[in-house]
Amino acid sequence: MTEFNGRMQELLLVWTAGPMLSIALTLAAFMAANWLFAKVGRPLWMPPVLMAAVILAAAVAASGIGYETYQQGARWLTVLLGPATVALGVPLYQQMHHIRALWRPILCTLPLAASLAAVYAVGIAWLMDAPLSILASLAPKSVTAPIAMGIAEQLGGSVALTLGGLLITGVLASVFVDWGAKWMKISDDRMVGFALGLNGHAIGTARAFEISPTAGAFASLGMGLTGVFTALFLPFVFPF
Amino acid sequence: MVLLRGFLVLVVFFLLGEALRVLVGLPISGGVLGMVMVTATLMLRGRVSDQLAEASRGLISVLVLLISPGVVGVFFIADRFAGHWFSVAVALVAGTLLSSVTTLWLMKKTAGDRTRGHSHD
Repeated sequence: MTEFNGRMQELLLVWTAGPMLSIALTLAAFMAANWLFAKVGRPLWMPPVLMAAVILAAAVAASGIGYETYQQGARWLTVLLGPATVALGVPLYQQMHHIRALWRPILCTLPLAASLAAVYAVGIAWLMDAPLSILASLAPKSVTAPIAMGIAEQLGGSVALTLGGLLITGVLASVFVDWGAKWMKISDDRMVGFALGLNGHAIGTARAFEISPTAGAFASLGMGLTGVFTALFLPFVFPF
Repeated sequence: MVLLRGFLVLVVFFLLGEALRVLVGLPISGGVLGMVMVTATLMLRGRVSDQLAEASRGLISVLVLLISPGVVGVFFIADRFAGHWFSVAVALVAGTLLSSVTTLWLMKKTAGDRTRGHSHD
């Protein structure tokens, strides 16, 4: 029996020497989350990214490989976030005719709304005496993940806290934009979609595609523009 | 081969973005600079190749997969922020509610001005 335990220890060492165990866990959690999400009727408040993270956290804790070892292996996947950010430029180009057609309202709304998305949260946290590293982590909360991670690193925030805030923001924005549109009697899919993408990044965009293709297109636009605007201006204006 | 060619284009633009960031000293991530450069290049060319469109669609469709290892971190380093969870939660909930309503209000106001004929274009 002790010999068997020794073999098991050895196996775990061999498995965690390379990145394959981390990659397998991440892929399996992603697929399980997608399956479960469809199974429980695609609820607004529990998007696939949240399910995947919960399943993955449970799997990492249960497997006993430890978070640090897991993260080292998972780097083989997360380095792809660089080219994935570049890839967002393609839909941005494909939506260019929408920007040209509606450039006035978009241009009027974007700078103020994208700035306020950061300012509200940072201001509230600052009033509640949160330290600088937390303010820096919250600032890019409405920006799509690959861009937000870059911004948080530049500002000196914690990438993990930024991603957590991002996830919560995306879920909340999906719900709040729906409520707000009902309350303000807005039925224009273009406005609702743009607001979903601007505030709720990829999670809001996924919600917008459920409303209509037009809402989805404007959400992608709002997400892309907010990402570029925030990435270009936040590092210059973040006051510390 | 088709997918690989598109992927190569994306990786090259990422490297160019990193080069611009380091050589010019911009405080913006290389990925974002690469994204802006791709959009600008496509606008100049006036069309996007099937290979590039296919590769970018593929990468964007697995964004959740690429993000999830980072999100998992929040469960394991939670203790580092133990004293600040309440302010973080209030900032996220109130901030997101305020910014969602503000965006809708701004869009309604500016688009409303258009339909009433106040715009000059």
